[in-house]
Amino acid sequence: MAIIGCGKIADQHVLASRRVASCQIVGLCDREVLMARQLGERFGITACFGDAGEMLRAARPDVVHITTPPQGHFALAKQCLEAGSHVYLEKPFTVTAPEAGELIHLADGRGLKITAGHNLQFTPEMLRMRRLVGENFLGGKPVHLESHFSYDLGDASYVGPLLGNKDHWVRQLPGQLLHNILSHGLAKLSPFLDDDLAELHASAHQSEQLRRLGGEEILDELRVLIRDGAGTTAFFCFSTQLKPGLNRLRVCGPANSLTVDHASGTLVRHENRSYKSYLTFLAPPLNEAGQQLRNACGNFISFVNGRLHQDAGMKELIERFYESIRSQSPPPIPYREILLTARMMDEIFAQIYPDRKAGRAAAAPNGAVRPAAALPQP
Amino acid sequence: MNPNYIISPADRVLVTGSNGFIGAKVVGILLEYGFSNVRCFVRPSSRMDRLKQILEASPAGQGAEIVRGDLLSREDCRRAAEGVSVIYHLAAGMEKSFAGAFMNSALATRNLLEAFQAHGRVARFVNVSSFAVYSNLKLKRGALLDESCPLEDAPQARYDAYCFGKLKQEEIVRQYRDQHGLPSVILRPGAVFGPGKPALSGRVGIDTFGFFIHLGGGNQLPLTYVDNCAEAIVLAGLQPGVDGEVFNVVDDERLTSAEFLRAYKRVKPFFSVRVPYFLAYGLSCLWEDFSRWRDGQLPPAFNRRRAAAEWKGNRYSNQKLHDRLGWKPRVNLSGAMTAFLAQYRRGAI
Repeated sequence: MAIIGCGKIADQHVLASRRVASCQIVGLCDREVLMARQLGERFGITACFGDAGEMLRAARPDVVHITTPPQGHFALAKQCLEAGSHVYLEKPFTVTAPEAGELIHLADGRGLKITAGHNLQFTPEMLRMRRLVGENFLGGKPVHLESHFSYDLGDASYVGPLLGNKDHWVRQLPGQLLHNILSHGLAKLSPFLDDDLAELHASAHQSEQLRRLGGEEILDELRVLIRDGAGTTAFFCFSTQLKPGLNRLRVCGPANSLTVDHASGTLVRHENRSYKSYLTFLAPPLNEAGQQLRNACGNFISFVNGRLHQDAGMKELIERFYESIRSQSPPPIPYREILLTARMMDEIFAQIYPDRKAGRAAAAPNGAVRPAAALPQP
Repeated sequence: MNPNYIISPADRVLVTGSNGFIGAKVVGILLEYGFSNVRCFVRPSSRMDRLKQILEASPAGQGAEIVRGDLLSREDCRRAAEGVSVIYHLAAGMEKSFAGAFMNSALATRNLLEAFQAHGRVARFVNVSSFAVYSNLKLKRGALLDESCPLEDAPQARYDAYCFGKLKQEEIVRQYRDQHGLPSVILRPGAVFGPGKPALSGRVGIDTFGFFIHLGGGNQLPLTYVDNCAEAIVLAGLQPGVDGEVFNVVDDERLTSAEFLRAYKRVKPFFSVRVPYFLAYGLSCLWEDFSRWRDGQLPPAFNRRRAAAEWKGNRYSNQKLHDRLGWKPRVNLSGAMTAFLAQYRRGAI
């Protein structure tokens, strides 16, 4: 594999890839070749390039991980696909949904695979949740979903450079700060929603903390209400102010519900049971306490076994992506989900930043989001 | 003003990181020395509180020029370096990631050097580095650590992004000196302290686990009071005959870690546990080996190199600073500690 874009996130890709069997890094590329060299020097990789075309010709990677700022994703992914490489694109997949659609069409037409860096969908607790959903624990299609995703502005190393600098690449994105962060939280909703979203209402404002830091027009508090054509509703909350930070997904089904907490790596089942009299105040909390104890023990055992890793989600996603390439099976994230996430993002940014240039290609005037055109399914 | 200085008071001088803890003091001392063309480079997001205070305190401050920009932008570097004779490069990003530290230290410095060479009236580039670049792994406890000591050769193993960024920054400065003949001086300040920087140096101890672990014990701290450090930096840009030199910056009088902590706790009491070096080193070895054995499952945040660099304990010398730069500390230790501790007494922190 090769990496294009040797900034902060590239370290994680190198570390995760090194733990994937049969994976070898054959090239590092950054427009600023010194960035590629610093990464190569630290991990003993000598093939460093300042031009993507040159790297593709010289290293001929099977897969390219693109970890540049999102503005470069579309053109670079297109270049890699045209050169015959499969592509792993860091989140957000592309700047707009039409770009996402075009890349998927291109990959599909060439018999190649592409995936998005939505690695939080592959953490151990999310995999446990998916298994239960697959076993029909919910009792049918979800009735309601809630995804909370928070980000601490206190980490000035990220937010500091973009404040006061309108030319910063994050400020150039249609959704600015939100655009670069929220796809993890939003992508978790996509597996449970239909393509034809009947409603999407987004509301955003600037927190007092960001205002004090000089955030100008940047919005950092977002709430979104969604309803799909089949009636499943979803609430998405992105916040820089919630304390303690929340990174959680709740999936409510017609029979039972599930809550996944990424911050603590836990999964809690909420079963539809009724209890007599005052037992209703005792049995459910005790049941939940028991589940949390099992979560803690399970996490400890996973740590001891070496399965619990800080980048477990990324490693799992990379492994599944590579396996899908080897076995010519469907990619780990269905293209339908990648496109739905991209369309929801376009619509959200069009609503909260109406004056900014955005890719509102699929938006209908009444807040409904039109379904994407027929797309290749894996 | 000393007529032997390599530039005259009318020459333009650039200070990057000029709203920083040390940078603002450097600007103040330059104005005090009579430099009337001081250009202050600040980040676009900088609130300018420190710099404003310095500029308002000096009549010459009104003539200072403020340039806002990003050193990762070549165009901003060109604006900053245009017509400048001496650059005092203090801007530094405190980045946790290696890539971020490299970008903010090495790439930013490369851009600045490039712009200086192309658009400046080059007399000297003063690069402010850090004690963090040294490795004392092979030095004995209590041995003298001076400018001739070896530099860290495995910053990744030390898990120290700041050290990596500073090493790469120095490498680029030396490269411009050797390949392009750009005159430069490197300063490596020790533990800079003073009002405006409330945090205790990691050389004293850490509070990673919810309480303060005092690891410095009886080690001498490489302390330098911010005003003294700033004056050393200013002199490094002015004194003749020091191009290509490296200077460690520490004060004449120094406290041990235990003495410093005792004085600190008198005004800001808190609970701390003292851990001797042999134990800290042993635990760091275990942590590092476990991290390696488990393929990075636990990041090697504690390791042999870091334990040695921060808590082994060395002696320090500022002889070269005295001899070559004619530096003398403008604030003695007693005055420095009084000013440092006053920030807690005022109740502001």
